[in-house]
Amino acid sequence: MSKMRKYLALTRAGIIEELGFRLATIVMIFGNIIYLTVIYFLWRSIFASSPTPVVNGMTFESTLIYLVLATAIFNFMEMYTVWEMGRNVQSGKIVLDLVRPMEYRSYLFWSYTGPTIMQFLTTFIPTFIIVECVTKAIPLGINLLYFIISIILAVMINYSIDFMVGTICLYSESIWGINIMKQVIVLLFSGATIPLAFFPEGLAKVASVLPFKAVYDGPLSILLMNSPEICDVLPILELQAFWAVMLYLLSVGFWKISLRQITVNGG
Amino acid sequence: MSRGLSFYLRIYVKILVQDLKSKMSYRADFIISMVGMILTNVVGFVSFKIMFSNFSSINGWSYNEMLFLYGFSLIAITPMQCMLDNNWSLRMNVYNGDFIKYCFRPINLFFYYESEVFDAKGLGQFGFGIATLVYAWNKLGLPVTFFSIIKTVIFAITASLFMMAMQNAAAATCFWIDRSFYVLDLTFRLREYAKYPVTIFNPVFRFLFTFLFPIAFIAYYPSLVILRPDKVPMLSWISPVIGVLWFYMSYRIWMRGARKYNGTGS
Repeated sequence: MSKMRKYLALTRAGIIEELGFRLATIVMIFGNIIYLTVIYFLWRSIFASSPTPVVNGMTFESTLIYLVLATAIFNFMEMYTVWEMGRNVQSGKIVLDLVRPMEYRSYLFWSYTGPTIMQFLTTFIPTFIIVECVTKAIPLGINLLYFIISIILAVMINYSIDFMVGTICLYSESIWGINIMKQVIVLLFSGATIPLAFFPEGLAKVASVLPFKAVYDGPLSILLMNSPEICDVLPILELQAFWAVMLYLLSVGFWKISLRQITVNGG
Repeated sequence: MSRGLSFYLRIYVKILVQDLKSKMSYRADFIISMVGMILTNVVGFVSFKIMFSNFSSINGWSYNEMLFLYGFSLIAITPMQCMLDNNWSLRMNVYNGDFIKYCFRPINLFFYYESEVFDAKGLGQFGFGIATLVYAWNKLGLPVTFFSIIKTVIFAITASLFMMAMQNAAAATCFWIDRSFYVLDLTFRLREYAKYPVTIFNPVFRFLFTFLFPIAFIAYYPSLVILRPDKVPMLSWISPVIGVLWFYMSYRIWMRGARKYNGTGS
């Protein structure tokens, strides 16, 4: 119990820190609106040029909802963990974090929960409301509850992936290169730039065995279900739970092994 | 600038050589960054392919014409990528006070700050852009004349001015607001959409993307001169002038911010 209080103190500190940067929040919401507009017009004209209104089982409306929400999820989950870890290794600050009476992985995770919650409220929720008002296509029922469970699992999976990629920074200090590779692969295979339904067979197969699908596609399909039964959502949640456990173990293991490698500047 | 172009050019080359030398001592970093850059472009190209395997044209623009715009936009963002990379560190330098060291040099502050870093991996993107452009040029059967090549070069330089101007202005916001990273990141991400014809937007956003966030000048307007020579809008012809103006304005904003700066006192 006292452990939980320790963690929640970090969450609270994160939220308070975020509240100090109100202007940044406004810029972010503004940026989000521009981004959504661009996506809207782009896909509208793409579908207008197509001879049929349904392409690969996707209509303009369903494509838009999918892309907009996937982008919103991507934005609130991007916590720049890799940059933080990389910079801390470079500057040597990581030594201070390592001697804290808390595991580094948990410390970093819980200090990100505050900003993540704030980002969820300021970017995902407004986007969700706009989409709902414009299209009325998202059912408002029990699916929202399952969605929350699913999104929490997605945050855990995403963090494990980021933490693993961040661990690579212990071997090479090329943060930019490592991060950009992760980012483009995630953006492509999560379907956040182009919905997975449009993928040719080979690439779709690759996407289905990668964990990124569980981060984006999972929560989104649950969100778009109309009053789902538990048996409808269970396969998705099971797959997510599988990836969450699997990647947790992998990232912890990789970190433990890598820690022996550590060389820190300024010793 | 009181001291002539040749003076600044000589200094730029000197600083460039030093920067490349220091980069070469981190060879692994250079290779990983280069691979990252190439991967980014490959994935960008794959996304483009996937899109066109489902849709044959966008708003009256064929696959090869879109490819032309795509290649052109990659070339146009290269100078920003290579020469203005230090803008990404500006906010850190301003917050921790390191920026003050640039203020004491007897040369142009903006020039000195930006010349310090040259991002060589941008050249990989440049190669990718050239290859795409040449391929599309060939497929479209566009004429290869001395005049058309000169036109392409002039308009590519013009387009790059707009991208540099946007990035300068966005980076300069750190002199006034906290967490300006989001402004810079947003502008940088907008470039992704520069490769689509601005005609896909409704009039309001067409105006916005032409005059306020000029991404339409990064590929669309300049490419029209080559792609659709019989109906080139006035905006395309005067874009070199607007480009210079934009760049000058962004430079003034940047310098105004820098003059306002008075250290963090630590």
